[in-house]
Amino acid sequence: MNVETKPDVIVEEERASSVRCALSLQLRKRFQTRDCSFELNVDLEIPAGITILFGPSGAGKTTILDCIAGLTTPESGMLNLKERVLFNGEKGIDVSPQNRRVGYVFQDLALFPHLSVKKNVQYGIASLPASEREERSRQILESFHVAELQQRKPSEISGGERQRVALARALVTDPAVLLLDEPLAALDAAIKSKIVDDLRAWNESHQIPILYVTHSLGRTRHCASEW
Amino acid sequence: MDWQSFWLTIRLAVLVATVLALLGLPIAYWITYSRWRWKFIAEAVVALPIVLPPTVLGFYILIALGPRSPLGRWWQSFTGHTLAFTFEGLVIGSIIYSLPFAVQPFAASFAAVDQRLLAASATLGASKLRTFLELILPLSLPGLVTGIALSFAHTMGEFGVVLMVGGNIPGVTRTVSIDIYDKVQAFDYAGANATALMLLVISFTILSLVYALNRKVWAVWPFK
Repeated sequence: MNVETKPDVIVEEERASSVRCALSLQLRKRFQTRDCSFELNVDLEIPAGITILFGPSGAGKTTILDCIAGLTTPESGMLNLKERVLFNGEKGIDVSPQNRRVGYVFQDLALFPHLSVKKNVQYGIASLPASEREERSRQILESFHVAELQQRKPSEISGGERQRVALARALVTDPAVLLLDEPLAALDAAIKSKIVDDLRAWNESHQIPILYVTHSLGRTRHCASEW
Repeated sequence: MDWQSFWLTIRLAVLVATVLALLGLPIAYWITYSRWRWKFIAEAVVALPIVLPPTVLGFYILIALGPRSPLGRWWQSFTGHTLAFTFEGLVIGSIIYSLPFAVQPFAASFAAVDQRLLAASATLGASKLRTFLELILPLSLPGLVTGIALSFAHTMGEFGVVLMVGGNIPGVTRTVSIDIYDKVQAFDYAGANATALMLLVISFTILSLVYALNRKVWAVWPFK
C-alpha cells in the first residue's frame, strides 16, 4: 500500500500586523515499513502569529513539527525561518536542533522529572550570566503565573501548571518559532483559556509564528473560537 | 582467613569497578544510541564473557598479554616484564571478564530514558555531552549503581580467568577464590569455609544494597 498525504488543513491564522511569511516549508518525508509506505508532502507558509494545524492521528502532524525542529530529517525540500535557511535538501544544509532557535512544547510536555521547575526553565539559558538567567526565568515564570512553584518538581504540580512550565521553558530561550504539539489537549476549557490568554499576551510583544497542531476538529474549533 | 588475599581481592575489585565505570559509560552510550548497522557484532563481543567459559577467556587473555603478542611486547619494553602473572595483567583480564556486567545495566538504563526528554534537551540548545551529563546520567542512576556493584561483586568472585591469567602468587595474584580452592585441595575445610562465608556475606550485602537503592520508594525524585 502506498499512501500519499496532503498537508493538514490550516483552520485559522491569526496574522500579525506584518503578514509576511515568517516560516516557509516545502518538505517530503517518506516512511517505509514492511507492509506499506507513507509519504508526507508539506507545503506551508506560516506568518507570525498563531496558526492551527489539524488532522487525524497518524496524518503526520508531529512529523511536521519534528522536521521544523530538526529532530527528524526530510528526504528533500527546504525550510526557511525568515531569512535563515534551516534545511535545504539540494544544498545539503541541515541545521542542528541546537542551533535552530525553535521552541517546542511536546504532547507529553517532556519536562525533566529530576529538575525543579526553575531548573527546567533555566535549562535552555544556561549559557547566560547567572544574574540574567535568574531575571529571565523569574519574568517568564511570573508571566505564566507559576513563579511560586519554582522549587517544586514536575511531579509535584498539577497538569495545568505543568503546561505553563513547559510553555515558559520553551519561550524563555527567546525562540524564533514556537511549536505546540497538542500540549493543552488534556486540560479543561477554563484552564486552557487562561493559558491561551497568557500565550497571546506574551506573543503580542514577540510576534513569532506559533504552530499549534491538534487531531480533534471539535477541540480545534473550540480553540479557534478563543484564539 | 588469608587477609592478604582478601585485601588484594578488594583492591582488584575496586580498581576494576572504577575502570569499568569510566570505560563502560561511553561504550554503553554508543551501544544505546549508535545507528551503525553492524552494531550487533559489537554488542555480541561485549556480551561474550557472560557465556564464554572463564578458562577459554582466560586462555586468550593470557595469549594476548604474553611476550609474543604486540601488547605483551610493548608492555615488556616499557616495564621490563610481561603482563601475564602480574597484578596489572589480572586487572586487564578482570576488566574484560566483567565488562558486560557494567555495560549491559548502563545501556539498559540509558535506553529507558524517554527519547522525548532528549529531543527537548536538543531543542533547548544543549549539546550531546551536556544532555548526557545533565539528563541521561542522573536519570540512569539505578542502572549505574547496578552496573558498578555487579562489576565489583563479579570481580570479587572470579576464579577461572584469575587462575589462567594471574596464576597463584601470594600477595600478587592470589585472590580469595584461589585461596578457597587451595584450602580445599589441602583438606582445610574450616579455613575454606571461613573465606567462602566471607565472600558469600559480601556478595549478598552488595546485591541487597543494589536492590535497596533501586527501590522506587526511596528514589531521590518520584517518577510518574
